[in-house]
Amino acid sequence: MKNISDQQRFRMISGMGFAALVIAGCASIPPPNEQMAVSKVAVTNATSAGGNEFASGEMRAAHDKLDRAGQAMVSEDYKNARLLAEEAEVDAQLAATKARSAKAQQAAATVQEDSRVLRNELDRRTHQSQ
Amino acid sequence: MQNYRLLTPTLLAVATLAACGTMSENSRLNEARNDYTAAQNNPQVVSLAPGELRQADDALAKANAAAKKSENAEVITHLAYVAKQRVAIAQETARQKAAETAITNAGIERDRLRLESRTAEAESAQRQAQTSQQQAQASQQNAAASMQQAEKSQQSAEAAQRDAQDLAKKSSALELSAEASLHAAAIAREQADIAQQQARQSELRTAQMETQLKELNAKKTERGLVITLGDVLFDTNKSDLKTGANRSLKKLADFLKKYPDRQAEIEGYTDSTGNPEHNKDLSERRANAVRASLLRMGIGPDRLTTRGFGPESPVASNDTSAGRQMNRRVEIIVSDEVADTDVSAR
Repeated sequence: MKNISDQQRFRMISGMGFAALVIAGCASIPPPNEQMAVSKVAVTNATSAGGNEFASGEMRAAHDKLDRAGQAMVSEDYKNARLLAEEAEVDAQLAATKARSAKAQQAAATVQEDSRVLRNELDRRTHQSQ
Repeated sequence: MQNYRLLTPTLLAVATLAACGTMSENSRLNEARNDYTAAQNNPQVVSLAPGELRQADDALAKANAAAKKSENAEVITHLAYVAKQRVAIAQETARQKAAETAITNAGIERDRLRLESRTAEAESAQRQAQTSQQQAQASQQNAAASMQQAEKSQQSAEAAQRDAQDLAKKSSALELSAEASLHAAAIAREQADIAQQQARQSELRTAQMETQLKELNAKKTERGLVITLGDVLFDTNKSDLKTGANRSLKKLADFLKKYPDRQAEIEGYTDSTGNPEHNKDLSERRANAVRASLLRMGIGPDRLTTRGFGPESPVASNDTSAGRQMNRRVEIIVSDEVADTDVSAR
């Protein structure tokens, strides 16, 4: 019991020291206004790209993180605000990319189906005319 | 209880220490690394999303750097998350590009197929046009054949018309010939009428002749008409015609003049009294006397022949004077026809 108490005491002291350092570091970070703007634009782009339809998970994450980033901004937790905003950006970018990719794949499938139909028709016509 | 009270801050401290990066192994970072390795090994991602892959590489390098510098675990986790998402973006971009390439290729394929289709359509249209042309040619040939048939029909119609005309001509010719026949018949009738008239005339003449011959005491015999002039014309043993004989001869001359195509044979006969040679001579002289008298009356000499028979062919008995008188005679045989010139043979 005594040994454990000693270990705990050591870890507590060291951990508190680190926490103090982290808090001190966070406090010196400026508000990530630029990142916030970039993330907002990314989310907007993803929405217009059809992210809600084709990548609903990523979009929900992006919106959630952007909201939390905004809350962190309000509470001046700029470090978390930056991290959340950056994650929201990549989530939104992934959502937009997934949406575009899905659309492209749909279009590809459509065009390939068109070609297939056309080829069948052509084959049929060629057979008929022979 | 005291243990728990102590445990909570201890765990917090551990968590804080871990977050600060003393723990080199971060599960999120490992995921990001694995994902990146997979993306790097995907040639589609390497070729189609090199920019996004580079960004992922950068993000992963940052996370690795943070982990190496043993930075705050929260930051490392964050950077690892960003790197993982960047890898996902790169992979999704590669899929997007591949799909776009497929669209482009499919478009090219579709265009090619459309061209083929158009070509096939054009060929089909050409074939149809050829078929139509052939059909048109066939139709034209049919039309020509029809026209030929029509011409033939017309020709046959014309031929029929000609035949009809010929028939009409023939029928008119027939009519004409019928007319001609009628005409001929009329002529024949006329001729028949004429013949009848002639027959009537000849009958009339015959009747007249018969009347005249009756006056001359003519008798119809096998040899022709026989006119007997009695011996009243001559004295006994004389050959000179008595004056009274002239009247009878005049009638005969008139008759011969009226029928100029008749010949007359004058035959002299005697009775059996006296020398037969003398009688024959006498009979010849008497016949010649009659002939001379007729010549004087204007009858042609070529129409009159004479013969003396003497006492031959007596018409009565020479025993009586009456019979002898009947035997002394001159018979004039008038031939029926001109052709009957064979009088001298009798």
